Amino acid sequence: MTTDELEKLLAQQPVALLHRLARGRVHRHFRAGKRRLIELLLQHSANNRAGFESDLLTLIGERQHQPAPPAAAQPAPRPHRTSTPPHGRRPHRAPEPESNEPGISLAEWLEGIGVPAPQPFVPDPWQIEALAALAETDVVVSVPTGSGKTYVAVEAARRAMDENRTVIYTSPLKALSNTKYTEFSKIFGVDRVGILTGDRQDNGQAPLLIMTTEILRNLLYDAASGEIDVRLDTLGLVIMDESQYLADPERGVVWEETIVFCPSQAKLLLLSASIGNPQDIADWLTSIRPTACRLVRHSKRTVPLRAGYLHPNGKLAPLFRTAGIPYGHPSHLHPEAKRLFREYEDDTQPSRHRS
Amino acid sequence: MPPSIHPVDLIATLRQKHLTPAIVFLTSRRACDEAMEAFDHAKTILPPARQEAIATALARVTEQYPSVAEHPLIPTVQRIGVAAHHAGHLPSWKIAVEELMRQGCLDAVFATTTLAAGVDFPARTVVITQSSIRKSRDFTDLTIGEVQQIAGRAGRRGKDHVGFAVITPSPYIDLGVLTKGLTGHPEAIDSQFTITYPMVLNLLKAHPHEQIQAILAKSFAQFQLNQRAEVLERKLDVVHEQMSPFGPRICTDWITQWHTFDQARRQKSHRHQTQRHEPPDVTARFHFLTPGRVIGLSRSRGIVLRQYRSKGQKSPMVTVLRPDGAVTECPAAIVSEVFDRHFDCEEAPTYPWCTAASFDELSYQLNELPTRLPVLPILVPKEAETIPDSIVQTLGDFPCPTCPSRPACQKDYVVASRLRQEQHRQMKSIQALRTSLWHRFQERVEALQRFGYLTPAAQLTADGDWARLIRIDHSLLITELIRAEAFTGAEPAVLTGVMASIAHDDDRPGAFPRISPGLSSLLGQVRKLAETLSPYEDPPLLRADVAALAERWIGDPNLTWIGLCRTTTMAEGDIYRLLARTLEFLSQLHTLKATHPGLADTASQAIALIRRGVLEELP
Repeated sequence: MTTDELEKLLAQQPVALLHRLARGRVHRHFRAGKRRLIELLLQHSANNRAGFESDLLTLIGERQHQPAPPAAAQPAPRPHRTSTPPHGRRPHRAPEPESNEPGISLAEWLEGIGVPAPQPFVPDPWQIEALAALAETDVVVSVPTGSGKTYVAVEAARRAMDENRTVIYTSPLKALSNTKYTEFSKIFGVDRVGILTGDRQDNGQAPLLIMTTEILRNLLYDAASGEIDVRLDTLGLVIMDESQYLADPERGVVWEETIVFCPSQAKLLLLSASIGNPQDIADWLTSIRPTACRLVRHSKRTVPLRAGYLHPNGKLAPLFRTAGIPYGHPSHLHPEAKRLFREYEDDTQPSRHRS
Repeated sequence: MPPSIHPVDLIATLRQKHLTPAIVFLTSRRACDEAMEAFDHAKTILPPARQEAIATALARVTEQYPSVAEHPLIPTVQRIGVAAHHAGHLPSWKIAVEELMRQGCLDAVFATTTLAAGVDFPARTVVITQSSIRKSRDFTDLTIGEVQQIAGRAGRRGKDHVGFAVITPSPYIDLGVLTKGLTGHPEAIDSQFTITYPMVLNLLKAHPHEQIQAILAKSFAQFQLNQRAEVLERKLDVVHEQMSPFGPRICTDWITQWHTFDQARRQKSHRHQTQRHEPPDVTARFHFLTPGRVIGLSRSRGIVLRQYRSKGQKSPMVTVLRPDGAVTECPAAIVSEVFDRHFDCEEAPTYPWCTAASFDELSYQLNELPTRLPVLPILVPKEAETIPDSIVQTLGDFPCPTCPSRPACQKDYVVASRLRQEQHRQMKSIQALRTSLWHRFQERVEALQRFGYLTPAAQLTADGDWARLIRIDHSLLITELIRAEAFTGAEPAVLTGVMASIAHDDDRPGAFPRISPGLSSLLGQVRKLAETLSPYEDPPLLRADVAALAERWIGDPNLTWIGLCRTTTMAEGDIYRLLARTLEFLSQLHTLKATHPGLADTASQAIALIRRGVLEELP
């Protein structure tokens, strides 16, 4: 593509696309008008022409619902990202519905409600991938709530216990520890599961130990300062549930301490709800652990989610124009929901102004 | 129209559309309880078969956790098939509700958003009624991650084809927050790494001081700081590149060279404009010659009426009131003394430069002045011009005026010096990012050295060696209390009371059961100590009412759980959490049995006494 062609192509695009393209490339691009923006983009494109063009084509391709040309399908590789697993795509790339399309009807929205026929349990590909990766290295799992992280935890624990390794499972809350204790006792048998709290040990010699992260941190400190807990030598796997607690203002530090001091022969399995930067966590683990950490992420829910709006008078309407959640398009509200909510605001706001 | 949907109608609608079972997230515990009360008079009751199912399921849970049996919500739950689940309930009740939900006995559960992570059971539908959440006193908007965590409870794997998140408005809801939350990409998480005292002690126990920096470098905090530093480094590279045309010329560091030369040149040219031919002592004094000031002239004294500069020479002048009411103009140079005496003088724009009244007053005051007056000490600056002079003398030494690259230097100087400043700034911030953790660690080390837990060589002292075993919040306060022997001879009940008040960090108000004098005086000491430690550690709330509550539970072994709950307005879930946390703190004291056998013994007695009734049900 010559510069003239590129300029023409850019000029044909809507300004929103140009802004998306300029994100991270042009400083304060949102201040610029279209013509100035094109100028700035052209200036910038001189640095990395190929990457720029491929990004542009990707964006155009997405816009037109067409499969982009193969060369353009891959977004420009980020320099510090090492490995992107197949599930690592961003969730925003869902096809965009036409903005003037009328919303779906309530009946359509409610369609499919009910209980599926009982099926034999088949693990999802990401679950198999996570378990396979765990045989060799640490794994960070970041998937939406309710996708079946527990299955991965249980299977991983089973495999480690089959190799006569000790497994430690940590959760952020004592309440969750108790729930998991009951759950795991049912799966593995009461004598193979133990729980440790600050003041009590139930079956502390069991191969699968459940505790809060603070307790594990204390164990690791004791081991580091010489009061060796023999069990740490046989420790094969540490599962940290809800590891998005890493960002908790008060307790996050405990997760960091635990991960830093976790013995290197034990594998780490970090289970987390969807977070924005799981790759950072994986990169961090890669930098401090003996083997390169594997990130398993996906953003598609196992059970699809639909959003609705329920008016105080009992009227139900879909919240968005589409049946599913239009990821990346918060403004695609259903006209009915929009109307009802405006009505609600009109009814509730004036009283606030009057008082 | 009502501001929000009535709970009974809400459940009826959900049932009618087959959207049950549902979790209804409400703003507060109170909202959950009120929603349950709303069902007291509801007509729709469950068919007997389902009531049976609930009763048998509850009976099974009760076998394991007897405290469930007396729960006041049970009749409503059985009749209507809805329940409330929030932090104000006992854990056993929450387990019961979760179990009922898992077995599909319930149609809806009212829960608070605060514990969205603690709600570990899915449903077909999640009802969201608010867009903000109470976080330490004020409300903040839900983040995208939180909205998705809440909505994620909808849709049970294997039991539902689809899950539903239903938004129903209540006052102050912001629909935008929720729609963004549902459709958005969750936020990136950031490290919240802080360096705590037990961390320092434990690290220094296991590793020599010089290895610590490498250990801290392994934290996620440092990883993220490095990421930021890398961004800056990339910027720095750009600056370096931009600097390349301004590399070494005739002199290697021509930017500094030109900078000094330029400064010197400017200094010289300014000197002529600013210099006044007046001695520095006059300049210094002139500021003090304000209207109303008493001054000494060669023979007599006077009061300044105004100060001004003469028109032609701009020399400093004053108008002075003399003893006999005479008003004279004289140059400031002839003022021989400035006295430390000042009268109020109402200024006027025309002769005699003050109002008639204050003129009379001043004339009177002037005659009444004592013979000896203190002199105002005025600092006279040394010859300020000497430094520029020396530069000017060396101006000839600069090679610049005759240098062949002078025009180029002069032209590029502005751009180059700006770039270099930026370069320095970036380098400084990169340096700060790389070393900030280590500096914070050093601060903690210094504090611990001051208290005597560490030797000057950063080795653990005998005190440090046991203090590292206290790995809880407010550890410094607790170890200092132990060192001050505050707990020597304390009853288990008193020890528990103090630990409870240190452990409790909730500021919800509670009623005030009677507190024993021993505990109250000890608590006073603890408060005082916490106050003095506040520069090193945030003091805990140290509430007397929670201390008294914990003391009660220990002090009276016949006290039932119901009896304890009646002495306070705290919710039983909160009391449970208070005692559980106190247990954790006590068990930390119990680890000190090697060095403080008495204290450890009292702690284990207290632990044994706490663990009864409801507190024994769960590990």
